Amino acid sequence: MCNDHPAHSRPTRNRREFIRDGLCGFGSIALASLLHQQQARASSFGALSSRSSHFAPKAKSVIFLFMAGGPSHIETFDPKPLLNQLHGQKRPKEFGETKYQFIKSTARLLGTKRTFKKHGQSGLDISDLFPHTAQHADKLAVIRSCYADVVVHSAAQYQLFTGRIVPGFPSMGSWVTYGLGSDSDSLPGYVVMPDPHGGLEGGQPIFANGFLPAAYQPTVFRPGDHPVLNLQNPSDVSPAQRRKTLDLIRELNQASPDPLDEEFSARMNAYDLAFKMQSESPKLFDLSKEPQETLDLYGIGTEPTHDYGRRCLMARKLIESGVRFTCVVSGGGPGKLQWDAHDDIEENHLRKSAETDKPVAGLLADLERRGLLDSTLVLWGGEFGRSPEAESGKGRDHHNQGFSMWMAGGGIKGGQAVGATDALGLRAIESPYHIRDIHTTILHQLGLDQNQLTYPHLGRNERLTFVEGKVIHQIV
Amino acid sequence: MSKLVRIALPVLTCLMGVSILVRADQPTTAPAGVISEKSREFWCFRPVTNPSLPVVQDASWCRNPVDRFVLSKLEEQHLRPAPPATKIELVRRVYFDVTGLPPSPVQIKAFVSDPAPDAYERLVDQLLASPHFGERAAQHWLDVVRYAETEGFEYDRHLPDAWRYRDYVVSSFNNDKPFDRFVTEQIAGDEIAPGNPECETAAIFHRLGPVRRNAGNPEVAASRNEVLTERTDIIGAAFLGLTIGCARCHDHKFDPILQKDYYRLQAYLSATEEHDILLAPDEEKKEWQRKTLAINNKIKALQARAKSATGSDATRLKEEIETLEDSLPANPATIPGIGNDFAHRAEIHVLHRGDWEKKLDLVGPRPPTVLVSDDLPELAADDPAPRTQLARWLTDPHNPLTPRVIVNRLWQDHFGRGIVNTANNFGINGERPTHPELLDFLANQLLQNGWRLKPLHRLILLSNAYRQSSRSTIEQSAMRIDPEDRLLWRFPKRRLSAEEIRDAMLAATGQLNPKIGGPSVMLPVDPELTQQLYKPSQWQVSSNLEDQHRRSIYLIAKRNLRLPFMDSFDQPALTTSCSRRESSTHAPQALELLNGRLANELALALAARLEQDCGHDRAQIIEKAYQLTLGRSPTDKERGLAAQFLKDQPLKEFALALFNLNGFLYVQ
Repeated sequence: MCNDHPAHSRPTRNRREFIRDGLCGFGSIALASLLHQQQARASSFGALSSRSSHFAPKAKSVIFLFMAGGPSHIETFDPKPLLNQLHGQKRPKEFGETKYQFIKSTARLLGTKRTFKKHGQSGLDISDLFPHTAQHADKLAVIRSCYADVVVHSAAQYQLFTGRIVPGFPSMGSWVTYGLGSDSDSLPGYVVMPDPHGGLEGGQPIFANGFLPAAYQPTVFRPGDHPVLNLQNPSDVSPAQRRKTLDLIRELNQASPDPLDEEFSARMNAYDLAFKMQSESPKLFDLSKEPQETLDLYGIGTEPTHDYGRRCLMARKLIESGVRFTCVVSGGGPGKLQWDAHDDIEENHLRKSAETDKPVAGLLADLERRGLLDSTLVLWGGEFGRSPEAESGKGRDHHNQGFSMWMAGGGIKGGQAVGATDALGLRAIESPYHIRDIHTTILHQLGLDQNQLTYPHLGRNERLTFVEGKVIHQIV
Repeated sequence: MSKLVRIALPVLTCLMGVSILVRADQPTTAPAGVISEKSREFWCFRPVTNPSLPVVQDASWCRNPVDRFVLSKLEEQHLRPAPPATKIELVRRVYFDVTGLPPSPVQIKAFVSDPAPDAYERLVDQLLASPHFGERAAQHWLDVVRYAETEGFEYDRHLPDAWRYRDYVVSSFNNDKPFDRFVTEQIAGDEIAPGNPECETAAIFHRLGPVRRNAGNPEVAASRNEVLTERTDIIGAAFLGLTIGCARCHDHKFDPILQKDYYRLQAYLSATEEHDILLAPDEEKKEWQRKTLAINNKIKALQARAKSATGSDATRLKEEIETLEDSLPANPATIPGIGNDFAHRAEIHVLHRGDWEKKLDLVGPRPPTVLVSDDLPELAADDPAPRTQLARWLTDPHNPLTPRVIVNRLWQDHFGRGIVNTANNFGINGERPTHPELLDFLANQLLQNGWRLKPLHRLILLSNAYRQSSRSTIEQSAMRIDPEDRLLWRFPKRRLSAEEIRDAMLAATGQLNPKIGGPSVMLPVDPELTQQLYKPSQWQVSSNLEDQHRRSIYLIAKRNLRLPFMDSFDQPALTTSCSRRESSTHAPQALELLNGRLANELALALAARLEQDCGHDRAQIIEKAYQLTLGRSPTDKERGLAAQFLKDQPLKEFALALFNLNGFLYVQ
């Protein structure tokens, strides 16, 4: 949004650049051009050793199933028998200290009522909250040793999406779109589908493009049949009428004193794209033509899965049409409508898993049978996990020092759990993976090198991974 | 807080995507903790020089000293300036540039038909005296200080009456307040004139950064550290043009800024605390305090109960608390200012890797080493007015950065790019000035004018460099030598900013409400947007329609709800300092202007105005519509196309088309 960088790396000023990188959401950027641009940028900073090129990608696109509010690892993918044994006791000293947002050091451990079973050929542990997802166990790589830096929602949500605990930095969807563009010429490159129940603590900046040009902003879908803002003609204007207005705009621009100006031409191209988007994408958003079998697969038409199922199916359709990054949010509005189970972990997680399990499983199945899973990286998780100790009797507080996320598809080796928390699920102790490592791995699967995907801002070459992350080699 | 948290938190803003650069053999300031003589010789740290006017071949082209500097660089590259802009182009350019608003058809006519040789000069003087000048100049400054009226993060709490700072900036520029005074008031207004509303308002500057407030176990020291970090970094970026925040965790990797320098700068702020000043009369104040206290007591009681409550009880209590919070009376007139609280002054230590729990040396206030003598002692820890001392140093005529940084911003305001292209970064990673002598000449002018900015604006606006056309006769060869037009072989055309586009549409309809100042306005937005707020009730739409037609600078700057229209036309994100606006081009902009609510409502209003003014006289409608939007008459060809369209198409669609034309969105 904001420009404090050398002229040669400035965004989209003329026709050539518009075609190269300005279409961003709506066209594709050749990686070679991007590299060229970065090298040009680098050279003006002085000496620079030769840079490795980006490599062949395994995934083309990403779907992030964002479980907002922070699902418990203890109830989902990280069984902790000792916790049940120590239920009601204080945490033994040898597990060390921690700090939560709300609960105090006097809190008692809370056992789980969930039961775990081994699933698939791999025998991956998954709790009874996810009977449908469990059928895809062999596709999932569960990372049990995730950790992040903050224990409060807003800052943790910023970190999960932008790598920073403060607002104002570009979201991973914006970074990926900046790096790769979109394979669709009539859809945005980066789509967020929020929960219709309301917003999240971190608000707009979670998903935003930060200092990247507005071209990399997310398209935040709205609930209902018209998800994209401004994609319909105003109600009093017919498509034929609007076509005539567009023709007039073109003719008057061409009649102006500078019809050949490059930047002006770029702007006229943007109108062509807008028109294409407007005429083609409504077909995509219309789910009424989908076969009943597909709707059933996602749990569309039945409660409580209808809403999340709809959005998961939409994600599949978007990815299929070339959208680069799609985020489907589960949870919004008041904490109890998120995975934020302060009061009652049972009630909350039974409800939230019932809403999402079948749609998520349906998405994995649908991607697989359409041959899209290999090229689509699916990520599942929240901004943190939950405390082994009880809050207000039967709830759990936020907890950022050890929690689970999973990835599937996009070249990820499924059927395994990597890393480990301690015996209570308090702290990631074996192969701990920071949120940065998740980011690095996503970029890696897309063929992007975290060190090369940079953008100059206020005197620094910023990147998604902040300080360097590492690829989770066990799963790629 | 865990070990992991403790390690990671401090890395907050310091580390950066510089690894590529680190690996290269960049000149650094090593050995650690010392500033080399060579570093002191870097251009921006050297004293401002007093360059003589360069000799040029075509002296006849030069109207004032600015032109000598510009022409000399052009001639070095065997380039020449473009011919003068036409009066029609010039009047639209200078109106937008100085006031952010288009000239009305009457104003255009007045200038174009004025044959006097000093017509342009008088126009410039008239515009610099217009109250809209301050609004336009203020927008640039508000971008730099990342002005917003809410705190961001989870609660995105509204600072009471933060708009007073915006009004302070507008009126300071309108009154041509000397820049040294402007700096001093923002840095230390509460110290130099306690109780003076204007100076206390200026010091809201320190409150403008995002603030993380959270329920639950608060880390007081960590929060304090975050606040101090925000307040320190912005001083570096806004006044010094240095990325001083990079030195928070280690000596600056590129610039001669020691880690110790960072904390010494922070030490000026060690006693600075939030201090809301109620401006209301005593009676009103008491009444407000009484009501607030009563509700707060109820909230406290419920919070105490909520601590032990579980399940549905807890949920119910939470809801009750929220209802009570919503019922708190609106703040009476307030300045969300700052003040010194010496009793609670935080000792400032150098922090290992910026980690607030890993304290190293205790430091006191002192300017960055590279800009002072090595043996300058730190200020006494109990100095009664530490920020006044900081302001004194910032505005010392011998400080080479403050005047250079502000005159560069001024140049950028008029030409789109600064003489230093990276206006917030004059350091080693920033770009070098294209016209270093001109930069120093302007800095000298500023000091000679007693830090007044309007004479500098005037000097620039009256130059031939500014008055040249955006169309060059030597484009082909010039594009090869200087494709970015950094040497100004033509005037750089620019797309209007988000605010200007909205204001210009409103102006065209005749609905623009020119009122200056006052509380900010919230426009009606899609419920989908407010629903995404943590507290949707924060968005209280201004019911007065005339308020909704006010200039964009008076729309509320809310960190967690930015208007899609403004967002799409590159309004900055309000979270970090923005030294220069992007100007991107993408399809959602077209969708906004074709299908968006704002564009369509205003197109309808423009159509109504045209009908009212011109009846059904199609030729007259077309003429007037072009005057109102593009600031010129249509050509015969344009006239023909428009007439053809209007034969069977609605006038509103014609009005909408005009808002979408390049001729409307760009200034030549």
